[in-house]
Amino acid sequence: MAILHKKKAAFTGDTVQLEGVALRYDDGPEILHNVSLTIPQRSFHFLTGPSGAGKTSLMSLMYLARRPSRGRLRLFGDDVTGLKRSRAAHIRRRLGVIFQDFRLLDHLSAFDNVALPLRIAEIADNVVAQNVTELLSWVGLEEFMEARPSTLSGGQQQRVAIARAVVNRPKLILADEPTGNVDDTIALRLMQLFIELHKLGSSVIIATHNEFLVQRFPFPRLHIDHGTVNALPASAASPSLVSEG
Amino acid sequence: MLRLRSDLPLRGDTASRFVFWIVAILVFVAALAVTASSYVDALLEGWNRSVTGTLTIQIPTGGAEDNSSASVSNMLDALRKHSDVVSAVVLPNEKISELLEPWLGESSIIADLPLPLLVDVHLSDSTAEAAKNIVELTQRTAPTAIVEDHRVWLNRIIGLAEGLSVIALSVMGLVTGALSLIVIFATRASLTEYAQAIDVLRIVGAKDGYVAGQFARRAFAQGFFGGIAGLALYGPTLGAITWLAGRVEKGLLPDITMPIRHWLILLALPAAAGGLAMFAANITVRRILARRV
Repeated sequence: MAILHKKKAAFTGDTVQLEGVALRYDDGPEILHNVSLTIPQRSFHFLTGPSGAGKTSLMSLMYLARRPSRGRLRLFGDDVTGLKRSRAAHIRRRLGVIFQDFRLLDHLSAFDNVALPLRIAEIADNVVAQNVTELLSWVGLEEFMEARPSTLSGGQQQRVAIARAVVNRPKLILADEPTGNVDDTIALRLMQLFIELHKLGSSVIIATHNEFLVQRFPFPRLHIDHGTVNALPASAASPSLVSEG
Repeated sequence: MLRLRSDLPLRGDTASRFVFWIVAILVFVAALAVTASSYVDALLEGWNRSVTGTLTIQIPTGGAEDNSSASVSNMLDALRKHSDVVSAVVLPNEKISELLEPWLGESSIIADLPLPLLVDVHLSDSTAEAAKNIVELTQRTAPTAIVEDHRVWLNRIIGLAEGLSVIALSVMGLVTGALSLIVIFATRASLTEYAQAIDVLRIVGAKDGYVAGQFARRAFAQGFFGGIAGLALYGPTLGAITWLAGRVEKGLLPDITMPIRHWLILLALPAAAGGLAMFAANITVRRILARRV
């Protein structure tokens, strides 16, 4: 697959660093307490925990939808506290986010949805066309390029969402329940896709309830419960990870 | 309407669908204000040109002995010798009849009327002092003569016209304000309507300027094409006004003619409406997004 090779400043540090991070919504109670962890480059983690434990909140911090109420969060070496909005946009271009509800734009075709990150990054139209076409073919949607998301099945929409998240060759992929709407066979295929991207150099964090996947793939696990994060070792796991709860 | 690629479904936007028509109405009103202002300017300029430095002396006929031709002749001699007087011409009866025609019609009534003797005096000096000297000279030589200094009524009309110009300018100001407000409200409503889609754009790396640009392009198109629709409404209206004015007796109203600069202002209204709408939308989006994380 020909994926973009846009020149970016070389970054050699950890992808994500949280130091004593807390999160609360407005004046509500803290959702996350004193979370400290490090996501190294080219790592792969599952993020597990019961519903409402704070998985989505933790991910929202990582894709800069929220800022920590307390503590320090670094993304690609940038401290997000007081981060300029334009810089935050540049950081987001190095992320690929897959939402549980896909968040596809229904007035756009599958092609245009996937092309969105490239167009926003002002990539030339011919390069956009080539990359998007190849990526949609790779995820098996070459026949549905002009289809509106609402006409696609849940699994197809999920693949469009994944294609959109990875088309810009992100350094960090955040996937919230990416296998939540598909059976185990398709879930395994999607996992293979994430593993391929991981091998190509992306850090991957997958929030999931799917114990089958967690048991099947030997990646370390970040377990979140009651707002605290614990690193759980997995077989063949070698995470560089510190957590305080 | 111009098709622009947009990542947001703004073309089908319910919140701002009415903006096009409101802009059309506002531009229509602005065009009428420009026309009114132009018309008042032309009216004033014409009057000013024709009456500045002039006086009209009226000598009633058929009454006092002083109206004798000798008295009139003395007065004319005195006037013509005065250094400030360029000319002092007795208006022929045909000319006086022509001036009365708009009010009395072309009937033979005018011929039967005891028309006064009118002397049109042009001065080289248009100051009040010069006019005063001429009035005194006239009253000395022809005591029953009535001197009309046009500057008195012209000054009142100028005051009225200036007031009308201020009102026209205020209308333009109101139009500008109303257009900005309507775009701001529509943009805010659209931002709420498409909040989730905007979040998606931002999460995939869009800067505030990118999102604002989408709204600004749409607002420009609405302003520009709404402006053209407004001018399309204005065209027949101007035609109707011109036609109605043409029915009024010649002389009562000047011709409705606009200088080229006013035509240029009219033609620039759609682009101005588009530009203003674009600016208002851009600023609104940037300000609202700046409040978010």
